[in-house]
Amino acid sequence: MRRALVTGGSRGIGLAIAKKLAHSGFSVVVTYAHDPAGAEAAVHAAQAEGLQLTAVRCDVNSPHDWQALLGRGTPLYEEGVAVLCHAAGFTRDKLLMMMPPAEFDDVLGVHLRGGFLAAQAVMRGMIAGRWGRMVFITSPTAELGRRGQCSYGAAKAGLGGLMRSLVWEVSRFQITVNCVCAGLVDTALTGELPAAVHAELLAGIPQGRAGRPEEIAAAVDFLVSERAGYITGQTLAVDGGLAAVHAEPF
Amino acid sequence: MPNSNLTEDVKKLIITSLKLDKAPADIADDEPLFGGGLGLDSIDALELAVAIERTYRVTIPDEKVGKQVFASVSSLAKYVGENLA
Repeated sequence: MRRALVTGGSRGIGLAIAKKLAHSGFSVVVTYAHDPAGAEAAVHAAQAEGLQLTAVRCDVNSPHDWQALLGRGTPLYEEGVAVLCHAAGFTRDKLLMMMPPAEFDDVLGVHLRGGFLAAQAVMRGMIAGRWGRMVFITSPTAELGRRGQCSYGAAKAGLGGLMRSLVWEVSRFQITVNCVCAGLVDTALTGELPAAVHAELLAGIPQGRAGRPEEIAAAVDFLVSERAGYITGQTLAVDGGLAAVHAEPF
Repeated sequence: MPNSNLTEDVKKLIITSLKLDKAPADIADDEPLFGGGLGLDSIDALELAVAIERTYRVTIPDEKVGKQVFASVSSLAKYVGENLA
């Protein structure tokens, strides 16, 4: 049974991914940083559905936390993590001119540096096992931009560059690295959008609806499967047509 | 001086972990591992370091040490022998 690690897997898209992977037979560990009670609740709820999740605290932007979780001598190090899905993250939306540098750093830290540290933590096991799947969750903001999201856009776009470079390093070990670009999905991250903004976003989506976390999870589930072994360095958008429409010159 | 068994075992580890089509006898003790006849690159070094860690529980902490340690089979076997728990 292969082990999967889903950062930010205690809620939202991360949780849906964790549950899907557990359903597909992976032994799933989810990380959380801020809400142990929420993580525990998520684990219990999954259990009620017959899905086994283990929740561990890990600030993805902390090398110390990664060392504690996956450093030499830890159980996870010995067993190896075969699948990494980096779904952790938050937004601190502000117009660039008003953005405190520390908040820019925080967003880059959790999404981009966190992704780098996560990849570094699981790499040894994947190389040793000569098999691996890494999926970074990104956003249409990376390529399309969005007012107030220069930090989030930079971080998510950065993950694309990281992914592509990593492909050149790890492919010989049967490790694939891809991004899943999640469009508008109704979770805590987007829950606080004012109704008018939400409506405006929907208007730009051909399907006219937000995606469900399960629909993002389905894409991740496919990419980490055995049969997706020749797919690497790709960004798979699950966005109701959002990016495709914007790419069309008109 | 690392014992000849360890040197032999290290050669076998290099061959199996890097999937080289060679026998231990084909690798000279003092042959450079990298930039030499074996045709290994920096990513092979990575893989070898992982294999050494897993097999002997010996770490190569950084690139600087790595360069010295990976100079040849002899230097690698010596480092492993010195650092075995």
